[in-house]
Amino acid sequence: MPSLMQVRNLSKSYGKHLSVNNINFDIEKGHCIALLGPNGAGKTTTLRMMAGLLLPTSGSISFEGAIPGSDYRQQLGYLPQSPSFYGWMSGEEYVVFAAKLSGLGSRDAVKMAAEVLERVGLKDAARRRIAGYSGGMKQRLGLAQALVHRPRLLLLDEPVSALDPIGRREVMEMLREIREETTIIFSTHVLHDAEEICDDIILLNQGVIAEQGTLGALRSKYRIPVIRMRVEKQEQAVQWLQSIASRTFVTEGQVSGEDAVFNVSDIKEARQVIVQEAAALGIPLLHFEAGSSTLEDLFMKVVGS
Amino acid sequence: MRGMWIFSQKEMLELVRSYKLAWIPVVFIILGIMQPLTTYYMPEILKASGNVPPALLESYEMPGAAATMAQALGQYGTMGLLVLVLAGMNSLSGERYSGTAELVLVRPVSMISIVFAKWVAQLILLAVCLGFGAAVAAYYTGQLIGDLSWMLVIFATGIYGLWLLCIQSLTLLFSAFLRGPVAAFMALLSAAALSLLNSFLPNWLEWTPASLPAYSAQLLTEGSKSMGSALTGSLVSAGLLIILCIIGASLITGRKKLID
Repeated sequence: MPSLMQVRNLSKSYGKHLSVNNINFDIEKGHCIALLGPNGAGKTTTLRMMAGLLLPTSGSISFEGAIPGSDYRQQLGYLPQSPSFYGWMSGEEYVVFAAKLSGLGSRDAVKMAAEVLERVGLKDAARRRIAGYSGGMKQRLGLAQALVHRPRLLLLDEPVSALDPIGRREVMEMLREIREETTIIFSTHVLHDAEEICDDIILLNQGVIAEQGTLGALRSKYRIPVIRMRVEKQEQAVQWLQSIASRTFVTEGQVSGEDAVFNVSDIKEARQVIVQEAAALGIPLLHFEAGSSTLEDLFMKVVGS
Repeated sequence: MRGMWIFSQKEMLELVRSYKLAWIPVVFIILGIMQPLTTYYMPEILKASGNVPPALLESYEMPGAAATMAQALGQYGTMGLLVLVLAGMNSLSGERYSGTAELVLVRPVSMISIVFAKWVAQLILLAVCLGFGAAVAAYYTGQLIGDLSWMLVIFATGIYGLWLLCIQSLTLLFSAFLRGPVAAFMALLSAAALSLLNSFLPNWLEWTPASLPAYSAQLLTEGSKSMGSALTGSLVSAGLLIILCIIGASLITGRKKLID
């Protein structure tokens, strides 16, 4: 069975600037995928190409194994980063209009619109003009118009970034429900959002896929033994800390003032050596922790480099 | 086709909700009343201003009903055209710049249905404005100045309307790739350029849409027998211009879906 969407060698350039550079990925049916990356990584450009709003400079996108370029827009639900609606319409009118454009009959459109508006919590505001909606309500209306025709693939561009903590919570809960019914791909620059509801992560940086895989696989892949420590502000102690960085068991070290983080090859050996030396030399240790690095560290590393 | 129908319904609702379908016809009606009224009361107006020599007053000759009606239609070629172009300048560019296009174009609708729906909305707006405006102008001309042939008024208005529709279609075309105010400026500029060229080279360019206002006036004052094959040429070229504008606008919208 082919995957729902295949993206092959996709590139998009604006003049000389390469916004998306030769990316490849598959979207499996029923999965929830996070497109993770800092601002300017090419997330929006990628989603817009998937939605058919931008033509790729090169590469192809195919839906369910169909020939690339065939029209699959009927199967899509799309929510842009800051959706804008016709302010003179009511919320209900807009969702009905959207449903009809996606091919629903008039009666179905009205019925589905009422259902989806109730679901996103806009039932009471449905007959009010959109011009009077708050930012959170507009985002929920955006979700309603993306869901109303029961799309097979939902593309969401930064669905929670512009919301306050309560609005964010609500939308995340809704996404958790929706992911049971359909395939979702959403972009975010917050790792926490991705970890919360996604199966797969595609980490994008400067138009290139830095890392992709299931959340579990990435977690175990990047579980590197790491030692974090802090000493008191003494010249001798800081010098000793810096000398640790050049030991054989340290694969990568970062010392900033009295704080240090060391990725190590053998955590047992490293712990023993460091603790013994510290005791022998009388180093005033404030903090010592032996553990493993997290996805957050990976994210920061990819983004920072 | 269904997309076009859904989109035209939305456009019509927008015309009503934005009150464009109310205030633009009002402007046209006022313009329509003004011409016969000022023509009829011109001697009184001149007398009231006081410093007009009596010889001039005596020599004032009331224009005929047909000429007055032609002048009234001429008002729509300046003020009326300006209002129509300003009302239509954002029809495509507004959707692009406000971002509403992004949510519409992601759905399975063809560009040509969107552009055609917008054009139909412009046509309906024009028909309502010109219909009411010309009817009122003809009524007042008939009451104050003299009898008019209703058939001729209807045909002359239709011919004049086609010229206005050409400029509305040009506005739509420019609005597909320019910002609204720039599109309005370009449309008015091309209307002015076409009219100017037409008045410099009337014999060469009698087949262009820009001759339509002249034919409309000629039809009113001289009757239908005076019309020649040049009118047919103008009608055909106007039709072609409109079709080219619609196709051009949908091709451009298709290529420039979003602002970069």
